[in-house]
Amino acid sequence: MLAYIARRVVQMIPVFIGITVILFLIRSPAIVPGDPVRMIVGERAISQALYDQVVKENALDKPLYYQYGRYLTRLVQGDLGDSYQLKRPVTHILFEKLPNTLKLALVALLIETVIGLAAGILSAVKKYSFWDMLVTLSTAILVSVPVFWLGMGLQVLFGVKFKQWGLPYLPVYDMTSRDFSTVVHFIMPGFTLASASMAYAARITRSQLLEVMGQDYMRTAAAKGLSRRDVIWKHGMKNAMIPVVTFLGMDLGAMVGGTILTEMVFNWPGVGLEIYNAIQLRDWPIVTGGVIVIVFMVMIINLIVDISYAFLDPRIRYTKAVK
Amino acid sequence: MAEAPEQIPGERSARGAGTDSSMGRPPLSIAESVGKGRTLRGDAWRRLRKNRLAVAGLVWVAIMVLLAVSADLWVPRYLGDPVDIDTTQAASQSLQPPSWDHLLGTDRMSRDIASRIIYGARASLLVGAVAVGIMLVIGLVMGAVAAYYGGIWDSIIMRAADIFLAFPYVLFAIVLVGVMGGGSPTNVFLAIGLLGWPGIARIFRGSVLAVRENEYVDAARAMGASTPRILFRHIMPNAIAPLVVYATMSIGVAILAEAALSFLGMGVQPPAPSWGGMLSEARGYLFTAPWLMVYPGIGILTTVLAFVLLGDGLRDALDVRKKE
Amino acid sequence: MPPLMEVDDLRMHFFTRDGVVKAVDGVSFALEAGQTLGMVGESGSGKSVTALSLMRLVPEPPGKVVSGDIRFKGESILRMSEKEQGRLRGDRIAMIFQDPMTSLNPVHRIGRQIAEPLRLHKGASKKEAWGAAVELLAQVGIPQPAERAWDYPHEFSGGMRQRAMIAMALACDPEVLIADEPTTALDVTIQAQILELMREIQARTGSAIIMISHDLGVVADIADHVLVMYAGKAVEFGAADEVFCRPLHPYTWGLLESLPRHDADDGGRLSPIKGQPPSLINLPSGCAFSPRCAYATERCCSEAPHLVEIDSGHSSACHFSADKDFLNRSPHSATGKL
Repeated sequence: MLAYIARRVVQMIPVFIGITVILFLIRSPAIVPGDPVRMIVGERAISQALYDQVVKENALDKPLYYQYGRYLTRLVQGDLGDSYQLKRPVTHILFEKLPNTLKLALVALLIETVIGLAAGILSAVKKYSFWDMLVTLSTAILVSVPVFWLGMGLQVLFGVKFKQWGLPYLPVYDMTSRDFSTVVHFIMPGFTLASASMAYAARITRSQLLEVMGQDYMRTAAAKGLSRRDVIWKHGMKNAMIPVVTFLGMDLGAMVGGTILTEMVFNWPGVGLEIYNAIQLRDWPIVTGGVIVIVFMVMIINLIVDISYAFLDPRIRYTKAVK
Repeated sequence: MAEAPEQIPGERSARGAGTDSSMGRPPLSIAESVGKGRTLRGDAWRRLRKNRLAVAGLVWVAIMVLLAVSADLWVPRYLGDPVDIDTTQAASQSLQPPSWDHLLGTDRMSRDIASRIIYGARASLLVGAVAVGIMLVIGLVMGAVAAYYGGIWDSIIMRAADIFLAFPYVLFAIVLVGVMGGGSPTNVFLAIGLLGWPGIARIFRGSVLAVRENEYVDAARAMGASTPRILFRHIMPNAIAPLVVYATMSIGVAILAEAALSFLGMGVQPPAPSWGGMLSEARGYLFTAPWLMVYPGIGILTTVLAFVLLGDGLRDALDVRKKE
Repeated sequence: MPPLMEVDDLRMHFFTRDGVVKAVDGVSFALEAGQTLGMVGESGSGKSVTALSLMRLVPEPPGKVVSGDIRFKGESILRMSEKEQGRLRGDRIAMIFQDPMTSLNPVHRIGRQIAEPLRLHKGASKKEAWGAAVELLAQVGIPQPAERAWDYPHEFSGGMRQRAMIAMALACDPEVLIADEPTTALDVTIQAQILELMREIQARTGSAIIMISHDLGVVADIADHVLVMYAGKAVEFGAADEVFCRPLHPYTWGLLESLPRHDADDGGRLSPIKGQPPSLINLPSGCAFSPRCAYATERCCSEAPHLVEIDSGHSSACHFSADKDFLNRSPHSATGKL
């Protein structure tokens, strides 16, 4: 098992390095137009001496590969550089925001799991029924709906109209306020972030369950005298759920990476919003640093999912043990 | 061979006679799909036509394309110009709700929303088509090189594909366009195309590898067929089904990505009409003029949905298994 | 007293998009306690569907019993409620499937899977059932059963898995054990062991067995009675000795001819039956076997024969089975092999 984990970690390294190369290049003068010194100091007038100092401090006079080496070395030490605008370490800024993004993604995962699985199971068990059609159609709609539009729509309906109609309503504007971490604040952003994912979860659950229902061991279970219900729940579910759980894990990663639009619509103080704002301000260290932090989180989550897969499926566990 | 004894074969599947045909259906063998290319296509078309949702998707895509292509001929005359502002009555016509004069209402600049929606469809479809075109070109070349030359090329290209797939799609599209300066459709095409190629490359590489091992490719090569000829005569027909499905789905994804970028102000720039951009404007009038937000959203939703349904239908009709 | 299990003109059809598949089309037999019935025929002859019908395990739809009855101790299984059927399944009637590889649930421990029928039908506690499962594993010849019960199916070899399947079927001491090609997926040496085990079990428990196989050798080894099936119909039925020594139906002749023999005078060449089994949607008119039958006449192509008793307890569905001259042309008439 340890050897397996080690191998997976080793496999991650070239991918991670490749990502850093791309992120390094897209903020280099080769790609981004303009004077790098100007980006750092802004438009204010500075003396030639200060200009030279900035060049030296940031190794801008050195060749690109040297700059990359410097960048990577610092990155490995946990140094993502300083924000151009805020003049603070990027890591500090991002780690203030990261918990908000992770919390939102976890809430979305919860919503996705509950609704997605329930819909998938329903449509598999009642294959070709009205419910199955309904689930099939709504999943197609959910993957097609633009998340920002869905978010706006929810805000208008549950935040504004409900308030006007005197119904219980959900908070819209105070996301950044001090008491933002109450449960109600998570409902709409969580649902918005989870929208496409829960559709995929439902589809995968359905197809897995249908595939499992055609397996020989399900017939064996029926031959033992179990009712259809018990056959599905006691023998089908665990088999069907192994790939679904894997999907959900991977999807948590995808949602951590996909929060940017949701965070923007709901003004949610997470890493995605921070990246978006930094793009507007052309504050590249925050942008690339934010992407690296998110990609790193995604990779860690996927690694954990991969490892837990081995624990879920006795067959994998076994082959791994033999190797 | 012909005299092979027809001994009682081992009875494998006891339920063969009666189980759900969609489950028991064997995937088409490669030889079959090559040898009977024409009938296969006919079969696929017949299966697709039976799928009502897919047909609805196809019809909707056709309507959208027709509207987008013919827009210049009639939209400015009958609905109003999508960009220019009629300064003489601009103020009075601003933010009108839907009426007979303006079927879907007007925006802040007194422009007819129906007209802008149709021109927005043009932008969306254009981005979808061009971005997927770029994606296909890069992906096919990468996939072909990886599979055909193998070895170090294969490793490099597939590693690169892993790296691109490790990026969260929307986030990276936003960052990429943000870095490239945003605001130009070219950047949007490029960003979406650049992000999408690994999927195409993987599918095509898989198809090439599967076919390359086949005897008839050896035979073709022995007869002196050139590499491009082998690629197009023998490999493409096999790769086409999964590629068509993937590309159809990708158009939907690209339209969503473009909408998101335009919404964030990084795609099509105002005053040029785009659905994402219109939603961005509508954000300022959520409470005073909610119809502003309704129609562009419906435009995106229905068009993407049409491509998704069409892609789903094509996958079933062409019998492409999902490779996860 | 009614027979233990009785099938009366069973017709199980599948209603598919391509047409009606008459998978089982008029099969009758009776099974007495402690007896073994062998069912033989090529793939698609309807043996397995018949077996699954007895358990009511044919998915409906597309399957449907269009006529006939299945009675257990005189009581119609078809008319029972689903709950009553469930009480019978796995308790009074148990089944062993063809492929032990896929028929065991990969994510549950062997012990739990064997214990399950006991928990369900006998109300055993977890602990009791587990203990019984270990004992059952010992009975079917699994070494170190106490430890192996904790294994998952993939940790068992093919033969051991089939032993586990048998243990599972035996758990509640069933009166009827249906074995659907229990040895087909196994190596030849293992096949013999499994058959031996089944014989042993029958001797010990006295349960009746329905043994389904395309392999006449397997059936000859174990069966008291033999039912030969072709295209969903029973074409010959009789005591095993009778069917093997004096087969009446040309199809049975063909099956016997296609067996590898050690005493062959023609250098051990197999003579398979020519042609393919017919599609069950478009059955040939007349006798379904007529297109492949070397002896077919015009009558065979137009008039379908019925299963008729020729000798006492030995029946055949061939127009000429009563004809002594015809039977003398059988490749078996002289040698009386097996």
